[in-house]
Amino acid sequence: MSTKRRKDLFELMRNYFKDWETFADELLESARIERPSWDIESCCLEPLCNVFVSADEVVVTADLPNINLKSIRVEAIDTDTIEIKAGMKRKIRFHDFGITHREGELNSFRCQVNIPVPVDVKKMKTKFKRGILEVRIPRKKGYKIKVQ
Amino acid sequence: MKVSLSETIRIVERESIPSNAIMFHGLPDVGLVGLIATSYIISELNLAEIAYVDTDLMPPVIVLHDGLPHAPLRIFGNNRLLAVISEIAIPANSVHAIMRALTEWGKSKNVRMVLSIGGLPVENRQDLTEPKVFGAASHRELIRLLQEKKLEILREGYMVGPQALTMRYCAEKGILAIAFLAQSYYNYPDPEAAAAAIKEVAKIVDIKVDVSQLIQKGEEIRLKARDIMKRTQRELTEMKKSQEYDVPYVT
Repeated sequence: MSTKRRKDLFELMRNYFKDWETFADELLESARIERPSWDIESCCLEPLCNVFVSADEVVVTADLPNINLKSIRVEAIDTDTIEIKAGMKRKIRFHDFGITHREGELNSFRCQVNIPVPVDVKKMKTKFKRGILEVRIPRKKGYKIKVQ
Repeated sequence: MKVSLSETIRIVERESIPSNAIMFHGLPDVGLVGLIATSYIISELNLAEIAYVDTDLMPPVIVLHDGLPHAPLRIFGNNRLLAVISEIAIPANSVHAIMRALTEWGKSKNVRMVLSIGGLPVENRQDLTEPKVFGAASHRELIRLLQEKKLEILREGYMVGPQALTMRYCAEKGILAIAFLAQSYYNYPDPEAAAAAIKEVAKIVDIKVDVSQLIQKGEEIRLKARDIMKRTQRELTEMKKSQEYDVPYVT
């Protein structure tokens, strides 16, 4: 097989895998969004969350309106996943939003957030201000390379 | 009465539209500032639904209110004000056509001025008790007006999304337009920022809107607006909204 043909074949495979990756990403994204943001069985509402990765730390924030401050729990359930839970000050029913075709009430927030880089969850720090929970987790340090 | 603007977008008028009105734009964007502020203005001033946008460029969605179907992208108004809001996120690939159609429609109605309300994402939003509001304008004389009213001008930087296109098309069509940008969260509904924006808007146009209820109902609004915020964030990512953080090379 000529070098050119071999190159074309690799290029083809690379594009094929890239297409699959894009498809998988889209599928994951749609699975994430195309479901309700509440779970009637556990009476939980999923809060809006954001993950920001900086050079030194990962900052996870969550919007937690109507919560009881003392009920906030942040727990590392794995080396790369944290769980945020908070009880509400008052229960919410769908009727409160004018929705009459659903039954049930929600009394807490709950979500699991995946941390995209290695972190030291034991050094996690939390802060709650103006209705927003902020969790700061230092990134794990790798090894240093000496610059000549 | 129907007004055809293009093959793909029609603005359907249900009532007669006033000429020479002030037109508010409050479409879903960062912190839903524009949507929250404009919806509040609509509710406080009892503006009636007078037109809606009919287009295949929006998802096949209707919104039910009191059991009756409504288009998600609607125009409210009275004899001197118009207000555009959308109850669903505007798809990134439809923003150009929709904003162009709304601007052309506004031009055909001789709108006196377009006031576009939005958010300006800041990282330290949690630390701000009173978000600052910045202004940008389509014409130089409006910049002077904003300065007279002590509004800080957004001098350099990028704007991305519906508000950016409102400014661009209004400038092109010779429509006076002001963008109000309140410091806000990026992806959390921000009623406080909306209240700050309304206060600044009230310095430019004569509207009497007490924002205390908006602040009081802040938690309720944040709960109700979660789903539209999530979908809006997805569209903002598609629009490359993060370019607003970039520093322009040519100044």
